[in-house]
Amino acid sequence: MTFSVLLQALISGILIGGVYALIGIGLTIIFGVMRVINFAHGDLMMVGMYLTYFLFTLAGIDPFVSIAITIPLMFLFGGILQKVFINRILGTLPQNQILLTIGLGLIMSNAMMLAFTSDYKILTTSYSSSSINLGGISISQPLTVSFVITAVITVFLYWFLMKTDTGQAIRATAQDREAAQLMGINVKWMSILAFGIGSSLAGTAGALISPTYYIFPQVGSAFTLKAFVITVLGGMGSIVGATLGGIIIGIVESVGAVTISSDWKDVLVFTIFLLVLLIKPSGLMGKSRM
Amino acid sequence: MRNPITQLTGQQGLTPVTTIIALLALASLYAIPCFVESPYALHIMILLFLSTIMGEGWNIIGGYAGQYSVGHAAYFGAGAYGTLILLNMKGIPPWYGVWAGIGAAVILSLIIGNICFRLRGPYFVLASIAVAEIVRLTVLNIPSITNGAEGILLSDLPPFKIGERVITDFISKVPFYYIGLTLAVFTILVTWLIQNSKLGYYFQAIREDQDAAHSLGINLNFYKNVALAISASLTSLAGAFYAIYVKFIDPTTVLPLDLSVQIVLIAIIGGIGTIFGPVIGALVLVPLSEALRSNVIAQSLINSGLVKEDSGMGVFLKEHLAHAHVLIYGILVVVVILFMPDGVLGFIKKLAARRKRGDA
Amino acid sequence: MSKRVMALMLALCLALPGFAQAAKVKIGFINTITGAEAPIGENLTNGVILALEDLKKKGIEVDLIKEDDTGKPEKSLSAFEKLATRDNVAGVVGPYTSACANAVASRADQYKVPLLVPVAAKEEITQKGFKYVFRLNAPADVYSSVLMDAVLALDKPKTIAYIYANTDFGISTVKTAKDYAKKIGLHEVADEKYAKGAPDFRSTLSKVKSLKPDLVFMVSYEVDAITLMRQSKEIGLSPKAFLGAGAGFTTDQFLKQKEISNLVFSSSQWTDDVKWPGAKEFYNRYKKKFGKEPSYHAACSYEAMRIMAETAAANGGDREKTRAGLKSGSWKGIMGDVKFIDYDKFTNQNRHEMLVQQIQNGQYHTVFPPKYAEKTKPIYPFKWK
Repeated sequence: MTFSVLLQALISGILIGGVYALIGIGLTIIFGVMRVINFAHGDLMMVGMYLTYFLFTLAGIDPFVSIAITIPLMFLFGGILQKVFINRILGTLPQNQILLTIGLGLIMSNAMMLAFTSDYKILTTSYSSSSINLGGISISQPLTVSFVITAVITVFLYWFLMKTDTGQAIRATAQDREAAQLMGINVKWMSILAFGIGSSLAGTAGALISPTYYIFPQVGSAFTLKAFVITVLGGMGSIVGATLGGIIIGIVESVGAVTISSDWKDVLVFTIFLLVLLIKPSGLMGKSRM
Repeated sequence: MRNPITQLTGQQGLTPVTTIIALLALASLYAIPCFVESPYALHIMILLFLSTIMGEGWNIIGGYAGQYSVGHAAYFGAGAYGTLILLNMKGIPPWYGVWAGIGAAVILSLIIGNICFRLRGPYFVLASIAVAEIVRLTVLNIPSITNGAEGILLSDLPPFKIGERVITDFISKVPFYYIGLTLAVFTILVTWLIQNSKLGYYFQAIREDQDAAHSLGINLNFYKNVALAISASLTSLAGAFYAIYVKFIDPTTVLPLDLSVQIVLIAIIGGIGTIFGPVIGALVLVPLSEALRSNVIAQSLINSGLVKEDSGMGVFLKEHLAHAHVLIYGILVVVVILFMPDGVLGFIKKLAARRKRGDA
Repeated sequence: MSKRVMALMLALCLALPGFAQAAKVKIGFINTITGAEAPIGENLTNGVILALEDLKKKGIEVDLIKEDDTGKPEKSLSAFEKLATRDNVAGVVGPYTSACANAVASRADQYKVPLLVPVAAKEEITQKGFKYVFRLNAPADVYSSVLMDAVLALDKPKTIAYIYANTDFGISTVKTAKDYAKKIGLHEVADEKYAKGAPDFRSTLSKVKSLKPDLVFMVSYEVDAITLMRQSKEIGLSPKAFLGAGAGFTTDQFLKQKEISNLVFSSSQWTDDVKWPGAKEFYNRYKKKFGKEPSYHAACSYEAMRIMAETAAANGGDREKTRAGLKSGSWKGIMGDVKFIDYDKFTNQNRHEMLVQQIQNGQYHTVFPPKYAEKTKPIYPFKWK
């Protein structure tokens, strides 16, 4: 194992971890505010991917630019889902919430399949496989751009939640739903906001990964699982934790593939996940809710 | 004493009439293969039994003890792999091999329980998923034992003999029908026994309020583990049955997250924490998904002459509805959750109660 | 002798559509229409649509019963039970995936329903001695052996690296490749499995790059092929040849990625420029009707449906006679010569010759075996565009 291979693995791990982080942050916000595990998270990401794809092929808008359209659309979509479906079951049994999101995920992926067939869609940009070479280490150009975008979004989100009134209301709802309600916060509206933000983040993650990945109706499920791992690893409800979790998973996968073996690296990811749960069930950043 | 049938209608007490009805129903189920020859119908019944076993198995830990495991595929897979590995490598017949499967599932459940039961609520859900994924990946990566991604294909089952007499050679569906039915009845009986024992009360106490149960002196970890072990062994029975029936297993068919979700779905759609909830869930989900999958609705509309085959509607039904069955399935799940939060059984009970009030 | 006479009669019947004009023939078709395997299943659906058109022209009305197995063996069983016992079909084409075909195969013998597997690759399907199970395509081992043969015709490479999906197809394909490599003294420098659908292979690829293999042998049934090749370019992995086994390297989508797909060798059951009768026409018609290029799955399902329906129609829908007809018949069409024979461990297996194609300037060109290839010469060694 040469040093450059290891360094290469580390850098690509961090970069792909940025995208993972974005998926995780979306899930963590939804969980934090509503205590609902969103099993449709990957499917929301898939919807974002299709949006990006069509904006690119039909209107010729670059994926990194089109997030300006994807984000509000996905926000609206998520908000509507929350208002029409999820708000109705918020107080009920937790298993029903899980099942509802599973059902919604099935509807999304299969509706997409009916509309656009199950064919793979490939979004090819001029930079889909271009990279910058730094002393023998190649750095993927599209991943670097998406990493920067992820960083900007995360910082903005953090500012929004910490400094604005709405952000504080969302955090209050996350900390104690009933108390927040007593304080006159419209918790249903906060839930809609949270789900909107969560799905627009999932959609953005989809948009960012599109130029280097492929798109088909069932693409979401693998990412849903990943999002779970990241979120619990980081501490459910914690944005910083999810960011950290995403990058850690990215690194473990990437470095694990070259140091241990590519087929056991996923076991490694899940084992780390379990270890964290055992030692610190609240996750890496569990204490600081959002 | 609560009786399964009265449980269904929400009445209390064991009446001779309901006992007789239950026994009659059971007897007629056992008699079905004497009248029904269609292997397709028997096949659907077998899938129904399989789903019932899975649902009842999950119900013990999920419904009674209130620990929503979404990783039951691990136990299903343990049963399937345990049985088939022994059969394939050592030629050990499945009716012995299944004990190894159950043993593996129980050991697995104890490991998983000791890791995951420290966690509560959603954390437990996610941990159970993660552990099941570890099991799947491990099976995938030790091909010397499990044959890895290639899976295990079974060519023939050894005939079942008592002494020198061959009872069955497992070629027709009938032996599978009886095995499935017997296992399903067995799981229902186990559930019934648990519900009516101290164990059941402990489980339910844990479900209702863990802290209160703890302060009453119930050893939380111990009873959760007991519930999970029972649940795991029932689920592994389903896995073993699946393996000898389908005769092909691989990690993506017997160990995926999909399957865990499907198991939970059966119980929740039916109604959790009741003896007959999972049965109802299986009764709703299996025929429904088969009807949607095989597009019989569109076909019968066309055959009945209501819709002409060549008309736009006919083509639409025949071509597109076939692609939409999972979509319809998803919509039904959402509808059930939104409008029948206690499952179909709970909904029926509510209707019955309303009617009673109306009568009075 | 009588077999030959029968075959002759059969050929006659087929040649004279008037003769074969039997009543409607009922055929079942099990495919994966929904679920994660659906993207490729769609090609099979389309191939069958074209086959039905052609059969109609020949006077064979097919009453097709389509079944979706969602890629799950138990659903595939449901579909087969229904077709065999409720719909009373003369024969069944499908299922698409190996897992499903595995589960269904033994039932074909049980119900005595001829089953023609169009494209599932697992060797075992036709190795269990089932009388009613036929397979049109070449099994997994041929995917790798034909690629190796093609390269050996060009050069004597010394080292090879394997990167493959941790799936049934990936493992069985690489197994054969490794046996073959051992025989010819090709040294293995890397053996890397990956999880299907992973978004990031960069670290694995850079490790492989540091080992400087002459050949990189990749197996990807899905579009992972595109992700793999994109990142190979990014990392700068540049062996003497990229060998791609599996559908991922033979799709329209892969072809369209001109930057990364140029000069990649891939093995395929079928190509559009192969010298098999009707291949080009099939390509053109398919492209016109569905707006995209056919994959080899489409060609396989087309030919499987044609063979099954013609045989069933010629035998009046009788299952036993249809089985005998499949066993004794031989066909010539877009998949070349088709005949179901017993050889080595196989039963009723069409000894299909696979092809090796290379992408040159945005076109697939058949380059191996020479007898089926057009004039295009393979380009070697590999160089990034």
